[in-house]
Amino acid sequence: MITLNVNGTNYQVNAGSDMPLLWVIRDILGLTGTKYGCGIEQCGACTVLVDGHPQKSCDMDATEAVGRKITTIEGLSATGTHPVQLAWIANQVPQCGYCQSGMILCVAAALARNPKAKATDITGELENICACGTYQRIRNAVKSITG
Amino acid sequence: MDNALLDARLTRRGFLRAGALVVGYATLGGVPHAIGTAEAAGSSALVNAWVRIGSDNSVAVLIGSAEMGQGVCTSLAQIVADELQADWTRVTFEFAPAAPAYANFVTHAQLTGGSMSVRGYYAGLRVAGAAAREMLKSAAALAWGVPASACTATNGTVTAIVGGVTKSMTYGALAPAAATLPVPASPPLTPDSALRFIGHSLPRLDLAAKTTGAAVFGIDVRVPGMAYAAIKHCPQLGGTLAVLPKKPSGATAIVGLDNAVAVVVEDTTWHAIQLARNLKPTWTIPSSVADLTTATIMTEAKSLMASATPAIAESVGNPAAAIAAAKLQLDATYDVPYLAHATLEPLNCTASVTRTSCEIWAPTQAAGIVAQTAATLTGLPLSAITVHTTFLGGGLGRKFEQDFIAQAIRVSQALMRPVKLTWSREEDFGNDQYRPMALARVQAGLDATGAVVGWRNRIVSPSILFQRGWVGPNDVDSQAVDGAIDLPYGFATRAVEYVRHTAEIPVGFWRSVGFSINTFVVESAIDELATLAGIDPLAFRQRLLANDARSLGVLNAAAALGGWNTPVPKGHARGIAFCEGFGSTVAQVIEIAGKAGSISVVRVSCAIDCGTVINPDTVAAQMEGGIVQGLGAALWGKMTFTNGVASPRNFNGYAMVRMRNMPQVAVTVLASGGFVGGVGEPGVPPVAPALANAYARLTGIRLRSLPMFTAPRSGD
Repeated sequence: MITLNVNGTNYQVNAGSDMPLLWVIRDILGLTGTKYGCGIEQCGACTVLVDGHPQKSCDMDATEAVGRKITTIEGLSATGTHPVQLAWIANQVPQCGYCQSGMILCVAAALARNPKAKATDITGELENICACGTYQRIRNAVKSITG
Repeated sequence: MDNALLDARLTRRGFLRAGALVVGYATLGGVPHAIGTAEAAGSSALVNAWVRIGSDNSVAVLIGSAEMGQGVCTSLAQIVADELQADWTRVTFEFAPAAPAYANFVTHAQLTGGSMSVRGYYAGLRVAGAAAREMLKSAAALAWGVPASACTATNGTVTAIVGGVTKSMTYGALAPAAATLPVPASPPLTPDSALRFIGHSLPRLDLAAKTTGAAVFGIDVRVPGMAYAAIKHCPQLGGTLAVLPKKPSGATAIVGLDNAVAVVVEDTTWHAIQLARNLKPTWTIPSSVADLTTATIMTEAKSLMASATPAIAESVGNPAAAIAAAKLQLDATYDVPYLAHATLEPLNCTASVTRTSCEIWAPTQAAGIVAQTAATLTGLPLSAITVHTTFLGGGLGRKFEQDFIAQAIRVSQALMRPVKLTWSREEDFGNDQYRPMALARVQAGLDATGAVVGWRNRIVSPSILFQRGWVGPNDVDSQAVDGAIDLPYGFATRAVEYVRHTAEIPVGFWRSVGFSINTFVVESAIDELATLAGIDPLAFRQRLLANDARSLGVLNAAAALGGWNTPVPKGHARGIAFCEGFGSTVAQVIEIAGKAGSISVVRVSCAIDCGTVINPDTVAAQMEGGIVQGLGAALWGKMTFTNGVASPRNFNGYAMVRMRNMPQVAVTVLASGGFVGGVGEPGVPPVAPALANAYARLTGIRLRSLPMFTAPRSGD
């Protein structure tokens, strides 16, 4: 048994020593907003925040997350009204939506780290894949926050 | 619209109670988890098949199409809500169950493809919304003892002046009574001038769910008592399972399927994927597998090009003679590779089969076919089968297929319990039903004025339809020649020929299907002809389309948006391409920068005329998305095969457009009205030729083979 702090709650979970954090979050904790896309840290659909930093959870052992604060999309805001979420809606960003948890968390983390960050700095770091091609709207949404 | 047909559709008879997404709560791992996005608030009444109204005055529109990003859960709801005179702030949506009532009014099937959602549902949903509105008015009229004609429906409320007093009732209060009334077959439609929602960029209804993690995709479905399954296919396409391996330690079950083995576990998808990956089944590999090699397939394509007897897709006059007599001739051969769909949500399906029922939750583009698949596999009547369509994490044509659906049903059937089957990304890339490769030769002739006097296009490509048994071995595959025939250019003499390539790599429908191949060929060749004639590529197309105001309008709009007639910055070049398909016309100007072998895409300027526009912003979004998909494919997209083994198997080898590659995209949506065009697919086809045409102008090098570049490999 390990104890994981996810979205401010401690969970005792029985995860195998090599089970990636992604699958603990999805299949054991039932927080399915974090997505499986590739399993090799390529697409970023599985992004969560670990101590505030974006982390691809598909290739991180859950045991490595013990003692750290994990935030998933469900924990970003109780009401779905984090400024990044609101900007995403105002700019009508998502299409299929599958990658957007990861995108939103990456941007939220960048803004938390540096509230004065430039839009281009934030989007310049975005490596996640959006197969629907919402990149331009993501840029616009980020600009709407950074001004 | 055939009202008799519509009447049959709009009756409640035979309608399956929907509640598609509200399947309650499953408690797993100690955490309650809602399966679904809709909240059941109080009671509700289904006024007709398409409209459910709650006692809280919420209006849920049932959506017959799959939502895979294109925005249909909003645009289709707009159509119904407008006629219904609904209060938009109370409008939501539900995915309809698989049932004949929800078939597309034009295709008569519950399939999402061919950019047919708005095209197929528009007229019928207007009638459906109007019918529900009239029923609500009739219910009020009965309550007040006045004729329905005395009642007015506005923004979710019916009012009438009864004995000098203004009475009003909300839709929520009227819905239970309205639901018992007959559905009118020919309700009056709202005049276009009075429409409030159609034609407006209303915010999408699915974005709150898609920004909070609440949206349930197929892969997120959890049902009580569910086991988790993963799959290992024969690594060589065409191989079959010979010997089922022993059940691995830790697995609940192992199930042999035709060309694959499924491993079932109790705890997590990850565990199932690990066990499946390590299986060592014995496969039977057919000797013909050696033919499933990229180079062999291309060699065969060249041989077929040279010597096969083609099927004739289009023939007007004698182009061979016209070309021979022409002043200038073009003879150019183009090729495109197999492509993967690479939807970000890997294939998955959850099935629960019992002796008397079969329930399926799936990210499917083909709910109607899923029901048939289940009936066939289980032997159960369709009435015992329930299909819940979830959100799709991308569809792109792949999620029309039934392979992953059938596997989940068979595994659940073997265990007689609910099972969620998920493909790993590697299985997804390795067992796709790929966009077919193609080899195409264009021969064309120009007269002294630069007019095209003859056009021949011979296309060698595997047949999606033949592989499914839908056409004969010597037939034209209509999908394979889409975008090559019925061109608006109307060349004086022309012949379009199709030769079926027999390669047995499974091929399927990939966003824009034949257009993704043929528009590259046609629009590249048109550009080459323009160059040959010494005429500007825009002017060359304007001449060809001189009598086609609609096409010309789109072409000119894209040219204006892309600054075609403005100076090009040093080191930049522009290319243009045009496409008429899926009921719409699209033109794009692409500006690139760089040098041979190393370019960046700076700007894509796109114009679309889709006639009647429901939601301009979602149309623009589909153009943006189609452009990104087209760019990835044109720049880097390629699947290769060696003795039936597909490569690459993950995103580290299959380059996708990422933020750093994203050009500025501008879209003009022209709404010429009078028809309804599709938007999901036609944004893709012009991208590859516009890009190749820009590259030719930048570098002097004409790229006739896609992809244009070797995919950059990202670190594992």
